Amino acid sequence: MPQATACWPDGQVCGVTVTVNFDAESVDLHEVAKENLYGRFSYGRYGMRAGVWRLLDVLRAQGVKGTCFVPALDAENHPQAVEAALKDGHEIAARGYAFEDHSKLGDAEAATLAKAHAALTRIAGRAPVGWRAPHGLLSPATLGHLADLGYRYDSSFQDDDLPYVMRTAGGKDIVELPTHQMLDDSTLYGPRHGHDRVIKTWKEEFDALYGCGLFVNLVLHARGDYGSGRASRARVVDEFLTYVQRRPGVFFMTCAGMAEWWQQRHPQSEAAPV
Amino acid sequence: MRGKFKWPEGVRCACMITVDFDGPSHEIGRKLRPLGINSWGRYSARRGIPRYMDLFEKHGIPSTFFVPGYDAEYYPATVQEIHRRGFEVAAHGYLHEGWELGDEEEELLTRTHRILTELTGVAPVGWRSPSGRKTARTMRVLKKLGYVYDSSDKDYDLPYMARIDGVRLTDMVEIPNNTYSLDDFPWFKFSMTPASEVLVHWKQEFDSLYAEGGFFMLTFHPRSGWGSGNPSRARIVEDLIRYIKQFEGVRFYSVQELARWCLANPGEFE
Repeated sequence: MPQATACWPDGQVCGVTVTVNFDAESVDLHEVAKENLYGRFSYGRYGMRAGVWRLLDVLRAQGVKGTCFVPALDAENHPQAVEAALKDGHEIAARGYAFEDHSKLGDAEAATLAKAHAALTRIAGRAPVGWRAPHGLLSPATLGHLADLGYRYDSSFQDDDLPYVMRTAGGKDIVELPTHQMLDDSTLYGPRHGHDRVIKTWKEEFDALYGCGLFVNLVLHARGDYGSGRASRARVVDEFLTYVQRRPGVFFMTCAGMAEWWQQRHPQSEAAPV
Repeated sequence: MRGKFKWPEGVRCACMITVDFDGPSHEIGRKLRPLGINSWGRYSARRGIPRYMDLFEKHGIPSTFFVPGYDAEYYPATVQEIHRRGFEVAAHGYLHEGWELGDEEEELLTRTHRILTELTGVAPVGWRSPSGRKTARTMRVLKKLGYVYDSSDKDYDLPYMARIDGVRLTDMVEIPNNTYSLDDFPWFKFSMTPASEVLVHWKQEFDSLYAEGGFFMLTFHPRSGWGSGNPSRARIVEDLIRYIKQFEGVRFYSVQELARWCLANPGEFE
C-alpha cells in the first residue's frame, strides 16, 4: 500500500471525486434547432430519460456522493433529474447556461454566467459553488467572474495531479480541481472504444495515481453517445468504483467538499493564467 | 540495414530517451489560451518535467530536453534546473511553430538560441523541429548558429552526416527520430491506446532495433492530454527503461553525446 501523503487527511492515500456532466439538449442545440431534436440529435435527451437515472443508481449502490455539472438550460428542462440528484445527496454545480463557448462570449460573459447562476440556484434551491467549462473552454475573465458570483472552485483545467488554488485578476481565490483526459468517459467512447478498453484504461490510470497518492477526478457524461448512461456503460462505472473502493486509504468527496477541504489545508494561491 | 556502422567499443545499442518540453507554447502558437482543456501544456513544468528528471536520475539516464523558446521564457527556473541537474537543453522552435515560417525562420531560430543560451550559460548545439517541419533553410541557419546536430528527420534508422544543399557536411550530423511509432503523441492523441499497450509496442520496437542497427530513439512529451507527463505514462517509460537495461551492450546517451561521437568517428557509422 502506498504511503499516506502530506496533502490528504490523516492516514488517507488518494482523494476521489466522481462527477457527472448532464450535457443534455444544451449540447445538441448547438447543431440543430429545437424542432430537430430527434433521431441522431436525441442522445442528449437519452441522458435525461435513461442515463442519469442509471448513474444515480450506481452511485447510490456504491454509497458515493458525487457532483453533477448541469447546464442551466438542461436543469430548466429536466428539473426532476436535478431533484433526484439532490435527494441522493449529490452536489449540483454549474456548467454554463446553454453550453456556451466561454472563450468567445466577450462582454456577454458576465451576464451569461449570472443568468445560469440564477436559474440553477432557483431550480436546485441553493447557489452552486463550482463550475466546469462547457467544451473545456474559458476566457481570461471567466475565473474572475466566477469568484465574483461566489464560486469556490473550477474543474476545467488539465494541468496538475492535485487540486491547487488560483488567484483571479480581481484578487479573489478560486480552487482548481483538475481533470485528466483518460479519466473522462467521452475520450474513449467518442472514438468508439469498447467497455473492456475503458475499464482497462481507467484501472491503469487509477493504479498509477493511487500509487503516487494523488487526486482522481472521474468525469462521466449521462448522454447516450459518448457518455456512460447506457446500461453496459453504467456497469463499467460500477465495476470501476468497486475496484477503487477495495483499495485502502481511498476516500470520496463531492467537489465542493474537496475544494473546501483543500483550500483550508493549502491556502497559498498562485496567479491564474490568462 | 545496408549502412556501415560500428558503435563505440562495448556498445551494441545506442539508446536515447528524449523529452520535448512542449509547455503552453504549443497552444499559444495556435492562438489558444492556456486555460481549461488547453492548459495541459502547463502540466509539463508543474509536474511532468520534475517527474522525469527524478526518474532519469533514479535510473542514471542521460537525456536531452528539447525546449521551445517561449516555454523557456515562461518557465526559466525549470529550464535552468534541467541544465543544473546535468541534462542537455536543446532547441525546439520558439512557439512550437507547426507551420511554414518563410522569412521569419532565421529570426525565430536565433531568438530561441539566445534565450536558451542566456538561461543556461551554454549555447545549445542541437535542434529538433516542432511538429516535424523543417526546410532547406533551417539547416543553413542552424549551421550558422553553431549547431552540431539536428534530430528531426524520419528517413533512416541510424545517424548520418547532414547535407546542406546536397553537400555532405563534416561538422553536423542528423540523429533521426520516428514520430509515427516511437513518439507518444500519436497513441495518446489519435488512437487513445491504453498506456500498457503502448509499452508492449515500444518493447517490440526496441527488440527489432536492437537486433538490427542498435539505434533506439524514443521521443515523448511531459505534458498532460496527448503527452506522457502523468503517472500512468511515466510508469511505462520507467518500465521500458528497465526492460532495455536487461540487454547486453546497451548504452544510454544524450543526443549531443552521441552526435559528438559520430562527428569524431565519421568512418564508423556511415
